[in-house]
Amino acid sequence: MDFSLNETQQLIQDSAKDYVSSACSRDVLLKIDRNSGEIMARQWKQMSEMGWTGMAIPEAYGGSGNSLTDVAVLFEELGVGPVPGPLFTSAVLCARIILEAGSEAQKKALLPGVAEGKRVFALAMTEARYGWAPENVHMKAKKEGADYVLSGTKLFVEDAEHATDLLVVAGIDGEKGLSLFHVDAKAQGVAIRPLKGFMVGMGEIVLDKVKVAAASVIGGAGKAAAPLDRAMLASVPVLCAYKVGGCKRVYEMSLAYAGERKQFNTVIGRFPRVQDHLIYAVNALDSARWTTYEALWKLDNGMDAAASVHVAKSVASEGYMKATDMAHEVHAGMGVLREYGLTLHTKMSRSLFHTLGAPSLHRKRLESALELMPA
Amino acid sequence: MDFAIEETEEQKKFRAEVRAFLEKNMPGGMEHHVDPVDQPREQYELRRELGRRLGKKGWLYPNFPKEYGGSDMSADNVMVLSEELAAVGSALPPYYDSGARMGAPTILVWGTEEHKKRFLPMMFRGDIRTWQLLSEPGAGSDLAGIKTTAIRDGDHYVVNGQKMWVGSAHGADYAWTILVTDPKGERHKNLSWFMIPMNLPGITVQPMDVLATGGEGGAGGGCKNAVFFDNVRVPAENLVGGENNGWKVATTHLEVEHGGTGRLNDRRVIYEFIDFCKETHDGHRIADDPDARAQIAELYIEAEITRLWALRNHWLSHAHKPRSYEGPQYSLRRKLSSLDIAERMLRIAGPYALTTDKRWAPLNAAIEYFQRDAITSLHPGATTDIQKVIMARRMGTGGREREQAGKLK
Repeated sequence: MDFSLNETQQLIQDSAKDYVSSACSRDVLLKIDRNSGEIMARQWKQMSEMGWTGMAIPEAYGGSGNSLTDVAVLFEELGVGPVPGPLFTSAVLCARIILEAGSEAQKKALLPGVAEGKRVFALAMTEARYGWAPENVHMKAKKEGADYVLSGTKLFVEDAEHATDLLVVAGIDGEKGLSLFHVDAKAQGVAIRPLKGFMVGMGEIVLDKVKVAAASVIGGAGKAAAPLDRAMLASVPVLCAYKVGGCKRVYEMSLAYAGERKQFNTVIGRFPRVQDHLIYAVNALDSARWTTYEALWKLDNGMDAAASVHVAKSVASEGYMKATDMAHEVHAGMGVLREYGLTLHTKMSRSLFHTLGAPSLHRKRLESALELMPA
Repeated sequence: MDFAIEETEEQKKFRAEVRAFLEKNMPGGMEHHVDPVDQPREQYELRRELGRRLGKKGWLYPNFPKEYGGSDMSADNVMVLSEELAAVGSALPPYYDSGARMGAPTILVWGTEEHKKRFLPMMFRGDIRTWQLLSEPGAGSDLAGIKTTAIRDGDHYVVNGQKMWVGSAHGADYAWTILVTDPKGERHKNLSWFMIPMNLPGITVQPMDVLATGGEGGAGGGCKNAVFFDNVRVPAENLVGGENNGWKVATTHLEVEHGGTGRLNDRRVIYEFIDFCKETHDGHRIADDPDARAQIAELYIEAEITRLWALRNHWLSHAHKPRSYEGPQYSLRRKLSSLDIAERMLRIAGPYALTTDKRWAPLNAAIEYFQRDAITSLHPGATTDIQKVIMARRMGTGGREREQAGKLK
């Protein structure tokens, strides 16, 4: 039993902390928030040079083959920012999908580019009838000779605007199962439009008769569901670790503010009602933290992690949102002043709430993992 | 990170050793009573016998120093031992022993060498059973407001007053208690701790009829008592940790009581209940109902967080890591999540959760007992409100210096 980080993880944590505090000051993050293009201009090269784009990729494909827990330690610190951008989607989620689904040739062709940060993948799965279950995917590719043609809309796609490459999840007309289509983001018929609002980095992708060669179907046609599921199961806790970092930051901001702000001649942190909010926030943090890291430990050790992953996603999504709520209770008006920085987390907690499945979906999956479903 | 006991070869050997030991040494005829109130005296005696057999090997309080009758056992091996005891329906310690569980770590930190030699071995060998006596009719959350006095008279202290919510059924050999040694002294500077033999003249134990015992240690308590002291003469050398220094000493005691060390293999009934819902009983499988499934998933999540925090605290204390708010945080969660889980069980199982009827009660009425126990457990070892107060101090809210967790060795 050991709840501490090992030496490698401490090094990762230190360099990530350094990076977030030096290169991602509040002003920088606010700038990125106003203009999302800045993330690629300012951060991406550095992140790639530090090897972060290759951490989740095995050495055989140009990465450093770190454990998921190692990767999660990095993402926890990025979540403290919160540092936005396609690192998770491209270098963890999509890399993992290619690893799980792709042929040896496809892995060799695609993953080194991802590891170097030259290719930036986005996962185009969700649609207008939004949801992360396979049955929510309605798009169908049409077969045309040896090739496929994709038409339709993918909605609320994370980091679509930064993508050089897309993994489009769709069925095939007249055939069973889901397939993964590798599409160049600049291909003819692809239109990517960032979506505005109380959300971070989501986009709409319209595909209009986009041609995909049979060789660009990742893995076998119609066989994507199982590897996709495995890849998501492995990636979810890394995303959860990002939320753990977010919880940590908003708790610490609130604790500090409650120690300075005076009302009725008293620092407000002395008031039990205010303390209740802080206690709620630290409980959300520790609930998310330990469910997340246990899931990662199980995955890294080849154990059955399904139930733990579903618990972690449910707890971390709810926890990050609630922790920001509590931070707003403590900060009152100051908290909604954009320049103060708390709202970066508030927005992130909402935006990531559904990513890779809302808590309700993961609780449903948990029911299956616990073998509760009728025979 | 590692969330499991590392089953090294040595530990596998240890597990086998524990199993062989228990096979040989589990007293015959041990029965499990869901409600400890039903446990007869002879069943209690069997548990004491098991305690003595464990104690002889240094396994009753295994993480304590060898020189006093413990085994200096690693956290991982303690977990193996407690798992194996749980697997045969027992616990570590196998009976309610609050005075040793919380008194021993306190004596280890604050007692003189003479105290340690006198009190610890008899606790660790299982020769005595000890209750803690803290609350009084007028002092619950406000522990420093106790009124029971111990007034110095020559080589003795004379004790007068009343303690409440004490112990369990079948009596105890020693009382580990906090008393007022300077009735005119300043608050927090007027208290002292004592180890008092329960057979001294003037001590009366009167059982109280409570909803459930909320006992600790998985062995249950059976009942709670009021304990009256009427001119009880206690030898002065039984005062531990210095006269009027009791509030400082209390920090160690309360750290253990407030969950600082975590509890392993706790509340297995929750996981047994989930299994029960998956089985078909009287042609009815509870988990077939989608609403029930949703509730079970929520209940499982609640239980998992609590289990993980217990594991974390166990690791923090046994690996001697710095701690701040984690003890009261876990205790608060264990209390509130137990109540939440109990109420979910009621929603899921309906009146089945409330009956003790042999024909109809699920899991031998363990669910019915859990309904009562979850309510009763809200208060022992500090109310949820007090846990929040301690948590806030340890978090350092309001710009205060963060209060440190109580000292543990």
